[in-house]
Amino acid sequence: MAGGQERILRRRIKSVQATRKITKAMELIAASQIARSQARIAANRPYRQGMQRIIREAALADLSVARKMMAAPEKVDAALVVVIAGDRGLSGPYNSSVLRAGERLINSLAQQGTTVRLITVGKKAPAYYRFRGIEVEQTFAGFVDRPEFSDARVIAAALAAPFVAGEVQQVMLVSTRFVSAGSQVVQAEQLLPLSMPEVADEAPSTGLKGYTEFEPEVEELLVELAPKALESEIFSALLEGAASFHTSQQRAMAAATDNADELGQTLTRIMNRARQDSITTEIMEIVGGAEALRSGK
Amino acid sequence: MTSLKVEIVTPEVALWAGEATALIARSSDGDFTILPQHTPTVGDITPGLVRVEAGTEEVAFCVHGGFFQVGPDAEAGVTRATVLAGVAERVSDIDVARAQASKESAQAQLSQGELDETARSQVEAALARAELRLRLGGASR
Repeated sequence: MAGGQERILRRRIKSVQATRKITKAMELIAASQIARSQARIAANRPYRQGMQRIIREAALADLSVARKMMAAPEKVDAALVVVIAGDRGLSGPYNSSVLRAGERLINSLAQQGTTVRLITVGKKAPAYYRFRGIEVEQTFAGFVDRPEFSDARVIAAALAAPFVAGEVQQVMLVSTRFVSAGSQVVQAEQLLPLSMPEVADEAPSTGLKGYTEFEPEVEELLVELAPKALESEIFSALLEGAASFHTSQQRAMAAATDNADELGQTLTRIMNRARQDSITTEIMEIVGGAEALRSGK
Repeated sequence: MTSLKVEIVTPEVALWAGEATALIARSSDGDFTILPQHTPTVGDITPGLVRVEAGTEEVAFCVHGGFFQVGPDAEAGVTRATVLAGVAERVSDIDVARAQASKESAQAQLSQGELDETARSQVEAALARAELRLRLGGASR
């Protein structure tokens, strides 16, 4: 009977509206997190730039040491790949695009005959790779939304150990870079050996390069400095990943809210028509019944 | 006109930035003072007090190890000194009670033993930080 259909529709509308409430709330939360994570990127920038300046200074001062630590390896037998993804889904293409980029890199390294070891960051990553038969050696999760520097330190230690031990010749990082609120780019870059940072430096090249004094000596200093530089790079990647995640989630949830609005409207229209139909039918029945009674008298 | 720009930065926050007359700290080679026109230098900073003199005022920072870099700034005649620290805070921001509490909890953990190597080094680092905070924060009060 028509009344039954009306009840089903009313239930569906209610469920769509409940979903809309959730997506709207997630959208608002993500939007507030965007501002916060962007502020954290800005707060981190002076440190990161300062670290890159020091590394470059040290590299220019002593090329022989720098070459050992920074030059591209001649032959890469084994490489470590780090992929930074999210802890949560419902964030549009954020997770899938970075995970797919990681998979592409792994495949291309494997084709060159390199043994690949994989470390992942974020809850979403291990399931993706295990399903595709790629072994995940180690995984970090639980802090991706709001990374702390200590998290970066833990990851850096896990990456540096096999490199220092000589088990791998190269460490690659796949993460999402937060270019601006409108643009986030998935990028693969070499973490170790440390690549010479291209600093957008304000300082003029005064021709004084190489005259920098070091205390203690460069060689000693680089031993201390290299792990710190690694931590700094990972931390900035984590921060930018978090900002990208929130941006992506906000966008996805805004779209979901719009869809829920549209669906709710369509369903309401169908329901109104169904109700109108049933009312019309009922009136027809009453009128018909009354007619029958009168003519029966 | 010569001047000195000093920045004290950590990964989480830029603690201080501005014009200063001098930067005083200690590296593994010993105490040093950076003045305007200092020669370009890169070095480490051992955990301890870092002072910035800005005019008549002096700001003290508790730096738990880090690096510094001195070099010419983009502006002519300006020397830039950057202090990069993993962990640092203003001495005036030190919470003595909290440092005392973390010192005690670290000592308790160490005396109980049963820590693997990485955990032990973390606790030891926490203890060193707490002791430094107490030393610098306690003195200023």
